Amino acid sequence: MPIGAYYLVAAIMFATGLVGILVRRNLIVLFMCVELMLNAVNLTLVAASRMWGGADGQVFVFFVIVVAAAEVVVGLALIVNIFFRRGSLDVDAQHLLEH
Amino acid sequence: MTSLSVLAQATTGSTSEVVLFVVFAGIAIGAGIGMVAMRNIVHGALMLVINLLSLAGLYLLLQSSFLSIVQIIVYAGAIMVLFLFVIMLLGIDRDDLLVEVSPVGRGLAVVAGLGVVAMLGWGLIGPYTSSASVCDPDAAVVHTSDTQTCAGMDALLDQAESGSVEIVATDLFTRWTFPFEASALLLIVATLGAMLLGRRHDTDPDDDPAWEPSMRLPDTDDTGSTGDGPVDGDTTEGPAEPGDEVDEVEPDTEAPDDAPEMTPLGHDDAERDDAERDDAEPVAVGGDTGVGANPAPGDAGDDATRGRDA
Repeated sequence: MPIGAYYLVAAIMFATGLVGILVRRNLIVLFMCVELMLNAVNLTLVAASRMWGGADGQVFVFFVIVVAAAEVVVGLALIVNIFFRRGSLDVDAQHLLEH
Repeated sequence: MTSLSVLAQATTGSTSEVVLFVVFAGIAIGAGIGMVAMRNIVHGALMLVINLLSLAGLYLLLQSSFLSIVQIIVYAGAIMVLFLFVIMLLGIDRDDLLVEVSPVGRGLAVVAGLGVVAMLGWGLIGPYTSSASVCDPDAAVVHTSDTQTCAGMDALLDQAESGSVEIVATDLFTRWTFPFEASALLLIVATLGAMLLGRRHDTDPDDDPAWEPSMRLPDTDDTGSTGDGPVDGDTTEGPAEPGDEVDEVEPDTEAPDDAPEMTPLGHDDAERDDAERDDAEPVAVGGDTGVGANPAPGDAGDDATRGRDA
């Protein structure tokens, strides 16, 4: 397959995550959409690594995975706290700044 | 790992690569769209797992078997289990979309997504999808100025003895050693941050007037708000009474007034309160030594030490 096919798949996945962030209202779903976009970029990096014949793209994907793991850990802890404070995960809830 | 590299080498530049690419890419895109479209969060998370697994297959096609395994272990294993764990913990696995985006907004979002795909595809189709971009070392490639040639990983993989792991590790521990160490620090900080965020606040409300529980569960630290009642059972950890729940909805405003009763669970003050109340019945508010209106502070102090010893 030409390497552009992988890029196109990554572009479609990235756009899917973007649409999900614009459409959905649940914090956890938004978080999963961010993960989808991160993985789309990872696919681009791996494809570029193969295209240029170097390992830098794969090393960068490794770091992206590490950072994504840390981000998920802290973000989910924040989400749990937000849920216990406000009782909902709706990002459109109106009383964010009223306390 | 050897079977993976055999698969990776067998699929380079052949028709089987095309077949596997179509299968994996179709599953990845379909599962991604399904994740966005699913109403149930658990179904969405499982769709994301399928998406990540098929991405691991695409990594395998791209001759990076190490990242394929890392993707399966870290992403589809650890991270998605964490997601599902939080979803189950919060109990939001039922129909979550009480507030929907308007159809107009949804249409605009889809248009925006299609616009992103169109723009990226406009730049990609042509220079990156010609026959020169096929990573086949045996193919007769026509190099032109406006097409991007695929070099492929074959030269690197031929040098390495143990495949993609060695390629990545060589770069990771020579050129990128410092970022590697920094990522270790990042993971430690993230772990500490998650522990700090997930912990219940056990600080003494006497010390902090702006004390507020981080988790408003029905059975948060509740040692009896009125204090005069039978306090024997209240200091042990048990489900709070419904009346107490109503009282404790806004504990931050109430905390300075009846502060001596707001002792945390398992603290020494709870036992001290019991000992004082047993000995000095007429005193309305027991409290800490020196805080309440205790007629005989010295006796109370002795009682407190006795209560702590007992």
